[in-house]
Amino acid sequence: MSVWGALAGGFAGTLVLTTALRAGNELNLTRIDLPFLLGTAFTDDRTRAKAIGYVLHFVVGLAFALTYWAIFLAIDRSGWWLGAVFGLVHGLFSGTALTNILLPLIHPRMGRPSTAAPSVALLEPPGFMMLNYGRQTPLVSLGAHIAFGALVGGFVSLAG
Amino acid sequence: MATRHKADAPPRIDGYAPLASYAVIGDGRTAALVAGDGSVDWLALPDLDSPSVFGAALDSRRGGRFALAPEAPYTTERRYLPDTNVLETVFSTERGSVRVTDAMTLPDHALGPQRELARRVEGLSGRVPMRWSVEPRFGYGCVPTRLGRRGSTPVAGAGGDALAICSFDAGTPEVADGAIAARLEAHAGTRAVVALCAARAEPLVMPARDEIETRLDATAATWRRWTESLDYAGPWRDAVVRSALALKLLVHAPTGAVAAAATTSLPEEIGGERNWDYRFCWIRDSAFTLKVFLQLACGPEARAYFWWLMQASQLTHPRLRVLYRLDGGARAPERTLPLDGYRGSRPVRTGNAAAGQVQLDTYGELLQTAWLYATTGHRIDRDIAHRLAGIADLVSRIWRQPDAGIWEVRSEPAHFTQSKMMCWVALERARDLAERGMIPGRHAERWSAEAGAIREFVETRCFSPEKRSYVRSAGSSELDASLLLGALLAYGDARDERWAGTIEAVRRELADGPFVQRYTGEDGLGGSEGAFLACSFWLVEALARTGRVEEAASMMDELIGLASGLGLYAEEIDPATGAQLGNLPQGLSHLALISAALAIAETTAR
Repeated sequence: MSVWGALAGGFAGTLVLTTALRAGNELNLTRIDLPFLLGTAFTDDRTRAKAIGYVLHFVVGLAFALTYWAIFLAIDRSGWWLGAVFGLVHGLFSGTALTNILLPLIHPRMGRPSTAAPSVALLEPPGFMMLNYGRQTPLVSLGAHIAFGALVGGFVSLAG
Repeated sequence: MATRHKADAPPRIDGYAPLASYAVIGDGRTAALVAGDGSVDWLALPDLDSPSVFGAALDSRRGGRFALAPEAPYTTERRYLPDTNVLETVFSTERGSVRVTDAMTLPDHALGPQRELARRVEGLSGRVPMRWSVEPRFGYGCVPTRLGRRGSTPVAGAGGDALAICSFDAGTPEVADGAIAARLEAHAGTRAVVALCAARAEPLVMPARDEIETRLDATAATWRRWTESLDYAGPWRDAVVRSALALKLLVHAPTGAVAAAATTSLPEEIGGERNWDYRFCWIRDSAFTLKVFLQLACGPEARAYFWWLMQASQLTHPRLRVLYRLDGGARAPERTLPLDGYRGSRPVRTGNAAAGQVQLDTYGELLQTAWLYATTGHRIDRDIAHRLAGIADLVSRIWRQPDAGIWEVRSEPAHFTQSKMMCWVALERARDLAERGMIPGRHAERWSAEAGAIREFVETRCFSPEKRSYVRSAGSSELDASLLLGALLAYGDARDERWAGTIEAVRRELADGPFVQRYTGEDGLGGSEGAFLACSFWLVEALARTGRVEEAASMMDELIGLASGLGLYAEEIDPATGAQLGNLPQGLSHLALISAALAIAETTAR
């Protein structure tokens, strides 16, 4: 199992995931904007935040792809369907622990239940399964993550 | 200098405020209408042509609003802060007075909401019980809106749209019965802030109080700087500056397009069917728009508008659509919304079916616009030059066709005189640009020959010797105030006796004092309409350009007196009652006002 396959899959998967989330925005299904969330952790300039966020999003995507690859190696199995299962788990983890609990703790501009009398502009927290960003958000997000996982699994498998 | 407009609490009829009572505030992307009683009855988010979240102006029960007013009887005194689009309302009650400052804030460098409507409440004297209530209704009130909280902040959302209500010293907001509401008592020296912070397709940003207040003050300062950059020293300066500020609110900053008005379906006749969506950019208005921008020294707006026009029209080249979306798109499908309409004026429409009509006058407007742009020191690149020549070629081929005319009649197409005149303008401007070497001139001889043929058609078939006037269409005996545009855009010599006769005929048959009807005859629609304000200003300009400056100035004085208390104009006015009708603020009314003032100033200076 080639690491290059994982990296190629990670790149393609992040591309598809980003496109799917953006399409969800345009279809008025969700307000999720991962690059914006990531970028605003580093700057309060909207334009720079989005630019930084897109770069970070791809870096994070590659990091997750490498994690998938490590697990594929450990269990000595891979494939698009296994990747899709990983994507589902990854999506559930993102919607629950990662963005619902961890992100508000480390994001300097995101509100928490304990936040009061803010001194800086606060970003709306995602909430459980990112439901704060719209009722369809879990479906859009899970679909996009499953596609990500399937692509990583498929590329790793193809690269032998 | 800002005019203060004092009035008793403006009466609503069946829940609807008089159209003349609306102030408009905006940020170059969207605009809100604020009624005299402090209620925001119209706001589309995130852009001017998006679905509304407050649409009480079109359905007082279901449309949604953002009310803010004393709980005791009051009178109001309103003005825009001098040279700005920031609204100030002073509510006076028996128990004291309160000042409310409203603005759609302009973004700064800090992380702020995508769109922000800020309302500052300051106690001036006594103790005044106040109540505010936000009833958000996304999607023109047709989409279920969910209300909740993020921490202590009330929020509302529907699909990809959401808003947060951030309030400071403005009472404890309750979320109940589809509204976010609170009471507060304003007494001398207190200051509260309520801000609507909106987002589409991204998380909400909930700013701190000092950030909102800083943005509110900076917004006023930015508007003042913009107004200072205007170059106008002629008569009726206040009206011209207010018109320019209203026009600036219709400029869609992301693209440079200029919307015809900020609203949809405010009626031309109360209870009637003439209710249209004006949140598009009409080619018809392009020459006036560019001329006004250039003459007021609004260089960036002029350049952005011209380039938007060229980009939008590229999609349909060489044909022109009557109107384009603010993002430059050509499709604007018309549909009706299940809303009551302003005082029962149905249907309420979005989109505009006029987009698909054939209107030959648009070609003249476009080439006049390009000619103005090119002959005032701006560069036209090679691609655009070729396209302009291609449009002139098209006009040479199609000017003999009947069309829907400038007024977009929904009756059978006809040979409208104004359309033919504008085809002549198109070919003459193309010939002149070719002579100057600014566009390819291979077909210039043909353009001249066809311009001659158009002229012969107009002079022989569109002129009535009995009326001593040009007429609405070939062979008819009806009149049309848009004929005046021929004189304004130099179809022939404005001092020619045919123009003198036409101006007289328009005054005789279409005008009643300062009020001018658009036309006589059929238009394929039921009902009637008010006097069309742009036509009144065109008549003023025509009088000025034909040397009748005193008459022009006198009529201009009367028209300035017809503005709303805040200096705004809708599309039309009811001559019987003086009530404003139609969408507002109407770009064409304000453009025509500025153009008329410039013409009088120019003629007087000579």
